[in-house]
Order: sequence, then C-alpha cells, then structure tokens
Amino acid sequence: MSVRTIAVDYLARVEGEGSLRVRVHDGRVDDVELQIFEPPRFFEAFLRGRRYSEAPDITARICGICPVAYQMSSVHAMEQVLGLRVGGQLRALRRLLYCGEWIESHALHVYLLHTPDFLGYPDAVQLAKDDPDTVRRGLALKKAGNALMALLGGREIHPINVRVGGFYRVPSREELDQIRPTLESALDIAEETVHFAAGLPFPEADEDYEFVALQHPEEYAMNEGEIVSNRGLRIPVARYDEEFERAPVGYTHALQSVRKGGTPYLLGAMARYSLNHGQLTPRAKAVAHEVGLEPLVRNPFRSIVVRAVEMVFACEEALRIIAQYDPPSDPWIAPPDPIPAGVGAAATEAPRGLLFHRYRLAPGGQIESAEIIAPTAQNQKRIEEDVRHVVERSLALDDAALTGMCERTIRNHDPCISCATHFLRLDVERT
Amino acid sequence: MTAEVSSDGRTPLVIGVGNEFRGDDAAGLLVSREIRRSVKGGVQVVETPGGVSELLELWDGRDRVYLVDAFQSGGAPGTWKRLLVGREPLPTTTSGTSTHGATVASAIALGQVLDRMPKLLVIYGIEAGHFEPGRDTSEEVLMGVREVARALGQELELPNRKTEREGG
Repeated sequence: MSVRTIAVDYLARVEGEGSLRVRVHDGRVDDVELQIFEPPRFFEAFLRGRRYSEAPDITARICGICPVAYQMSSVHAMEQVLGLRVGGQLRALRRLLYCGEWIESHALHVYLLHTPDFLGYPDAVQLAKDDPDTVRRGLALKKAGNALMALLGGREIHPINVRVGGFYRVPSREELDQIRPTLESALDIAEETVHFAAGLPFPEADEDYEFVALQHPEEYAMNEGEIVSNRGLRIPVARYDEEFERAPVGYTHALQSVRKGGTPYLLGAMARYSLNHGQLTPRAKAVAHEVGLEPLVRNPFRSIVVRAVEMVFACEEALRIIAQYDPPSDPWIAPPDPIPAGVGAAATEAPRGLLFHRYRLAPGGQIESAEIIAPTAQNQKRIEEDVRHVVERSLALDDAALTGMCERTIRNHDPCISCATHFLRLDVERT
Repeated sequence: MTAEVSSDGRTPLVIGVGNEFRGDDAAGLLVSREIRRSVKGGVQVVETPGGVSELLELWDGRDRVYLVDAFQSGGAPGTWKRLLVGREPLPTTTSGTSTHGATVASAIALGQVLDRMPKLLVIYGIEAGHFEPGRDTSEEVLMGVREVARALGQELELPNRKTEREGG
C-alpha cells in the first residue's frame, strides 16, 4: 500500500480563506473535501427581527467583492413581497450598477488572481516586477468598475445608495456622461484582455458540467430571469427548492448545494456564457469569435477567457445604458402602506453565479426569516469534482506540482470564499 | 465610509481597514471613527474592508497616509505597533479577515513595484484576539483602539515631530 500526503496550509489568491483535503489511496482518489465556513449563516440570523428595508445594506456587508449582488437579490425578493415592479430607467440603473461590479470583480480575478497561474508567477506582485503593464491593465479595469459602483452605489465598497423600490438618489445625465470616457477606455482594455487571456497556455481538461444560470428572453441575464440549465431545467426562481437542495456535510460549516438527487452543478461566468452567449453585446460576441472561444466551454482553465469576454459585455452594456439614460422623476417607488406579510424569493447573477435570497416578512415589514445561498456554496461540490479529476489525471506529478495543480483548479472558479469561509488550507494525503 | 479623496494629495489621509461584523477585525474602523470625531479639520478619514487595488487608489499620490488595521502575530490582544513602511518589516499577518488575509502587505508590495505609494505610509496595527462573525470587539482590543486613536491623533496634530522621532 502506498502512502502519500501533501499539505498546503494556506491557499493564496482566492477571495477569502478556506481549506481543501485530498486523500489518495493506492493511486485512486478516495476523498476530496472542500471545507468552508459560511458567514451567510450568521447574517441570516442577524437579519431576523430587522426591517425589510435594512436587508440591502446589511447583506451588502457579506462580501466586499460583490456587495451589489447581495443588494440586488435582497431588493428583488423584498419587492416581490411588497408587490413593487421596478422598471424603466430605475431597472436600467440597477443593471448599470451590476455592470460595475462584474467589471471590477472579473478584473481582480483575471489579472491579480488568475493570470499568475498561467505565467508561472506566485502572485501578482512578482508578475508586476517583470510585466507591470499587464497588472496595470487589470488595475485600470478594476478602477473603471469601481468608479461606476461609486457613482451609482454612493461608494465603491458596500454601496449605500440602493433601496427597496429603487435608489436613494439617481445620477444626473451629466454625471453619467462624465464616466463615459473611462468606460470607453475600459472597453478597449477589456477587448485587449480577451486576446491576452486567449493566448495563455491552458492545461487539458474537459468537464461534463451541468451549467445553471438565469436566462432572460431579452437580455444577457443579470437581475432577472428563469433558472435554466444545459440539461433541460427551466423554472421560475420561486421554485428553486423543488430542484435544488442543501445538505450539511461533516467536514464543512457550509451547506453543500446539489441538484435534487445529488448531482453537483456549476454557476458563474462559464455557465452564463454557455447558456446565454447568443445575447452578448456585439463587440463581446465578435471578440469571442475572433479568439475562437467555442459557445460551450468545458475546460475550466479557459474560464479566464470567458470572464474577459464578460468584461467586454459589461463595458458595452454600461455604455448603452448611459447613452439611453433619461433621469427618472422619482428615484424610488414608494412601498405600500401598510407593508404586507409574505414570502419573497429572488436570484440575481453575482459575478460568481446565481445568488439566491428568500425572506419571510411579518405584517408591517419585520423580517421573520432569511435564507441566503451564495454561489460559492453552490459550486462547492462541483469544484470538488474538478479537483478529483485533476488529481486523477496528475498522479504522476510530485507533491508540490500536484498541490499547485489543485490550487489552480480551485482558482479557475474564482471561489468567493469571503462570502463563504473563514480560511482555506490544502491537504493532499496519499496512502 | 469611503469618502472622496482630495486631488491635491496634501491632506493627511487616515484609512481604517476592517470588518465591523467580525469581532476584533473592527479595530481599524473604530480608530478611524474616533479620529473623525476627535480631530477637527485638515484630515481625511476613510473606511474600507481592504482590497489591493482599492488601497492603491486611496493612497496613490498622497503625501501622508496613516493606515489602521487589526493583525495577529501571537501577541496579547489589544497591544499595538506603529510601523513606518519602508523602514520596518510588516507583521506576518496584517488582517485576519480582509480578502486574502494579507491585503495590506500585498498592496504595499504591489504599490512599491508599480511606484504607487504615498510619500509617507504609517501603519498602526492592533493585535486581535478573534475574528469570529457576529461577536463583539473584545475589551482588550477596545482599549488598544483608544490608545491608538490617542497616539494617532497626536501624530496628526504634530506630524513633523513624530516623523523626526521615527526617522531619528
């Protein structure tokens, strides 16, 4: 019997921290356990007894990288209970805010977290020493996304301008015009990023994913749509529980999400692109075609190209919304009086995938219960599968190289463990 | 609260880093709020959960920046250190819960490579005991917060004397 153990105490370049344990027995992978702690559990408890109107600002604190996603899912769920339908320019502004978050989050992942893997650098600092312009491109893109979030959200991190029914304040025509040159420049950099990313060396991988994402009849889905998959799933968000389940597992504080029956699934950029690529904006579609990005991407290492394409989309979409902007007369739609009791569920597309919120309100608007299912918790099982397959393919590697491959495999999915964990350590045990 | 950063870069900037929902990780934020309350005028104060690019954006082009963050190095909770970046090594871990754990150290390293550092960067680090979600900031760390707020307040009032002493 052969015994082999590999341990890494800290997995760098993921958002937040967590741990991974891999056990290899006689050349076979026995166990893969991604262990995460889940702050949403704490926030769910913290929300009970609070006013419905507090949910956007409280849930935005779950994650410094994707606060808009938490705000958007919470306001949509609350508006469902309140019977509010936010449309027109207010809806467009929400989409614009989300564009800012996609740009800044993808720029961080593509340039500062993921690119060093492909070019053989331990981190972005070492990369910047040899190739400062590449890192500067990432920072410029991130700055553009942050600028959009600061303008619409009131500030870059943990925006405070979003409220149930709309915004506290909407921007003037002039304010949006001022940000156009930044976004036009970001669009060019994003296109350049697609070419750059497509030229990176990719390890071989072909994963048979069930991709799950929102789909909307008229647009590349961000805030609204049905939940669909490439295996025939199509349900309204309110029926989420009928098709997905969460189960506690012994080694992690998070509940692991699977399809009913136990099948893992994948959310995020690869899922959105594969399910909705026909709805991308013209330049995003064109540049994806130019670099030969197939409509269905099954190699997770190529997710970096998909994220770059989504940055092109987000810049183009933001510019379109700004060009068509006509400031609404009221920044929000007033809630009904009194606030009714009820249950509201909503999902929106966080940069890392579908973020589900459900709230039960008491008469008058007090939150009785809250349920928040973050993308990373949903992807956890599927990431374990990727790690299992990469270890099976790479057993000939020495311990250091195998460990590095496991880390890369996790980073392919940009797990936002800030949302879902306390720290990440990696142990590979071979027996 | 992340405020607008003035364009001239001469106004001293205090950056409080942390997460107010994670116990002692709130230390940097609490110091920044105390500074905002006690120091009248001539100082800009911002709060942030961290983030490499965000820190670079905040301090790039500034003359004087004072960053306050929780860290864990095995010392007693509530004890604190003042570090002049470029003169002294950083603690191994500057913050336990900001994204990547070592955001501040990474931002400094990247800022130095890309030449995006302030002229003067001073870090006040407060030793944390725990970073658990939902728990209050510990009494020991709150005491450290008060001490750092007092020391930083004095330094903001008399920056030259402090800088000379550090440089001396």
